Amino acid sequence: MPGPDLLSSQGLRLDGRRPNELRRIRCKLGVFTQPDGSAYLEQGNTKVLAAVYGPHQASKSKSSSEGVVVNCQYSMATFSTGERKNRPRGDRKSQEMSMHLRQALTAAIKTEMYPRSQIDIYVEVLQADGGAYCASVNASTLALIDAGIPLKAYVCSCSASMAYKDGVPEPLLDVGHVEEAAGGVTLTVASLPSTGSIALLELSHRLHSDYFETVLSRAMQGCRDIEIILDKAVREHLAEGWTKQDVITI
Amino acid sequence: MTGHVSIRLASERVNHCVPCPNELPRFYTPGEVITGMQDFMRGHGTYAEDDSLKSSVAGVMQKVNKLICVRPLKSRYVGEIGDVIVGRVLEVQQKRWKVETNSRLDSILQLSSVNLPGGELRRRSAEDEQMMRKHLQEGDLISAEVQSVFSDGSLSLHTRSLKYGKLSQGVLVKVFPSLIKRRKNHFHNLPCGVSIIIGNNGYIWISPHKQDIILEDNHDEIENYDLQAVKRSDREIIARVKNCISALVASKMMLDDTSIMFAFEQSLKYDNVKELLDPEAMLDIAFLTQHMLNDITED
Amino acid sequence: MAGLLLSPSEKVYILHGIEDDFRSDGRSNIDYRPMELETDVVSHASGSARLRLANTDILVGVKTEIDVPKPDKPNQGKIDFFVDCSANATPEFEGRGGEQLANNISNLMQRAYHSEQAFDLKQLSIFEGKQCWKLYVDILILECGGNLCDAVSLAVKAALFNTRIPFVKAALLDGGNVDLQLSDDPYDSKLLEVGTAPLLVTLCKIGEKCVVDPSAEEESCSVISLVVGVTGNPKCYCSNEDASKLHEHISKCSTIAMNGPGSVAPQTLTNAIKQGINAAKYLDEALGKALLRERQDITNFVKHSYGFFK
Repeated sequence: MPGPDLLSSQGLRLDGRRPNELRRIRCKLGVFTQPDGSAYLEQGNTKVLAAVYGPHQASKSKSSSEGVVVNCQYSMATFSTGERKNRPRGDRKSQEMSMHLRQALTAAIKTEMYPRSQIDIYVEVLQADGGAYCASVNASTLALIDAGIPLKAYVCSCSASMAYKDGVPEPLLDVGHVEEAAGGVTLTVASLPSTGSIALLELSHRLHSDYFETVLSRAMQGCRDIEIILDKAVREHLAEGWTKQDVITI
Repeated sequence: MTGHVSIRLASERVNHCVPCPNELPRFYTPGEVITGMQDFMRGHGTYAEDDSLKSSVAGVMQKVNKLICVRPLKSRYVGEIGDVIVGRVLEVQQKRWKVETNSRLDSILQLSSVNLPGGELRRRSAEDEQMMRKHLQEGDLISAEVQSVFSDGSLSLHTRSLKYGKLSQGVLVKVFPSLIKRRKNHFHNLPCGVSIIIGNNGYIWISPHKQDIILEDNHDEIENYDLQAVKRSDREIIARVKNCISALVASKMMLDDTSIMFAFEQSLKYDNVKELLDPEAMLDIAFLTQHMLNDITED
Repeated sequence: MAGLLLSPSEKVYILHGIEDDFRSDGRSNIDYRPMELETDVVSHASGSARLRLANTDILVGVKTEIDVPKPDKPNQGKIDFFVDCSANATPEFEGRGGEQLANNISNLMQRAYHSEQAFDLKQLSIFEGKQCWKLYVDILILECGGNLCDAVSLAVKAALFNTRIPFVKAALLDGGNVDLQLSDDPYDSKLLEVGTAPLLVTLCKIGEKCVVDPSAEEESCSVISLVVGVTGNPKCYCSNEDASKLHEHISKCSTIAMNGPGSVAPQTLTNAIKQGINAAKYLDEALGKALLRERQDITNFVKHSYGFFK
């Protein structure tokens, strides 16, 4: 079953990366002043802004005494894609994305802490170049941390695909737009790397069940790599903001 | 008449970071193990899993005896009994007001927790209930103290002291609560000539010095006082204090009467208050204030 | 603007301040808060800009498309404005919550750019009557701290200044079809003439006086505001030598709109319009200077992309 040609004879991908290489991730916490937490994240040419409001009093209809209500909205700027989008949100794809985002983030938020409250997470994709969902999850995690909302652990998301080099299957990490468009299989995983658990898994196109494990483990490896990058950014942000606060240790 | 317009480029952006002599503390991030469980108590920002205590937020660990907390850089206000807060009335309900205090749930001010005109120990009648909106209406700002914390975490407030109650003319500045230093006193009459209430919840109220007429229980006069124009000189000082606070916040510096007064002194070299909106001036003030703070800690 | 709750005495304080020409942050009634600008921030767009005015944050992307001109204006291109109020700015904008405000602003921009003296649509023509460029100006509101209209119009003008349109060779084939040839070289493109593009100035009537650049708090004290669209001065957007060749510029109003439930006396209105034209002049000069400075940086290869990193 020869798939689309995603690897060159030198074993490099269409954008020049090695199979197990992530795109460059750059991020920053606290980019806005109005929301309780915010973050900006670039994963290659995919650029995402996330804002968190709350925890605040939940509206009466949503309020739950069990735990906090997590409300997500995924939206794409009309100029974010190669072809102009007519609507930033409200279409089926972005509604599905909002649901998946909620699924992944709820797994990490310590929801039982905050009965009758609500957390709003808004994601705005400024530039989509493949893996917009992954970037959204990663940016949201940072925004939640910036807002000081208790999390069990970082939740990170990464995708993986499959290519054949001389008939030998080779999983590809962090699928870019060109690879997505080439029509290969894409496995998207959101996981809590420090606990090793999976919060969300989605597979598009068909994949032989024999290869599932390999592709999944590559995606999970990507999540672990991303966690390290995010953790570094969080620590840098803390170091920058903490210098002026006195630490009271009694 | 010429208006003032300034457009700078992103490349000319000012970095508000002010260097500080303190050594960096050890930081913890979500999911990180703090310690094995061995009879430690878990406080805010931590949780127990697999026989170990883990951090749930990103911040610095604080240990009080056996209680371990991790304090994040910023979060919503977590109230404690006795805290002074500034809040805004959201809703008038039966026998109580709902107050917005930057907490994760709206706070409650019971009708029985306020001083009504005509003596403290008066019974609350049905008439009082109907007059509630006259006392405090939607949008009104109040200063109050946290009386108790309900089981779900929402706060119950009281204003049963003359220093608390409805706020009149002035300016509200919102900052994040972790920038407020917990002090014995949060009400200050600054030597520059304005009053300031530094709410524990991150809401800061700046107003002209209150005159004594508030103490007399004469309603008409209070109402008149509410509408009187604030003197230009007071207004300039209030604006200056407000801009100084913004400058300190941009550099994430702790706020109390000392740091605000230092910033105010340093700002005086800028004659015109609006010059303090310029990012470079803001950084300058934060930097000089940090310098003064370092000097006093060394002494 | 989303209603901000203020107490009556806070409103009184703001009102007295404006009467005294000394506002809560020390500004006079005709001062703007400091702004920050960056162009070329979205790589999927032909032109883009981000403008921050205090904590109002606007991102604009311009996309181009080839279209057929309107039959009644065969030699003109098209320009279309779309505003999206992102929920990042306030939870009230979630779902369709910001739609009304967004439509208001996009209609206002459409009207302000409608006039030929404001924006020359002929420069977008490719082949008369057959093909033209259509510009999609997509405006994203990321944070709002008052005075959205002014900020939007500044960001749009900056994004259009930054927009490059590829050169196209058009030839008429048999049967009335047009053959278009686009150059492969992305630098083989032209910049737009945007010098005359209008800026919007909001004049917020609070008490008896009008202020420019209202903060969110001031906006909630006002019952009526006036938005004036004023054409720009092309002299501000080109080098000194080119500027001397241009005719003396007279600012013109390209649109006037009123928002809010209140009403104004005709005399106040005329004064406000004058005040608006005056403010637009200063805005236009400052914007032109900033844009030329940035273009200088680009030609000297010293421009870095900052975006949301500080």
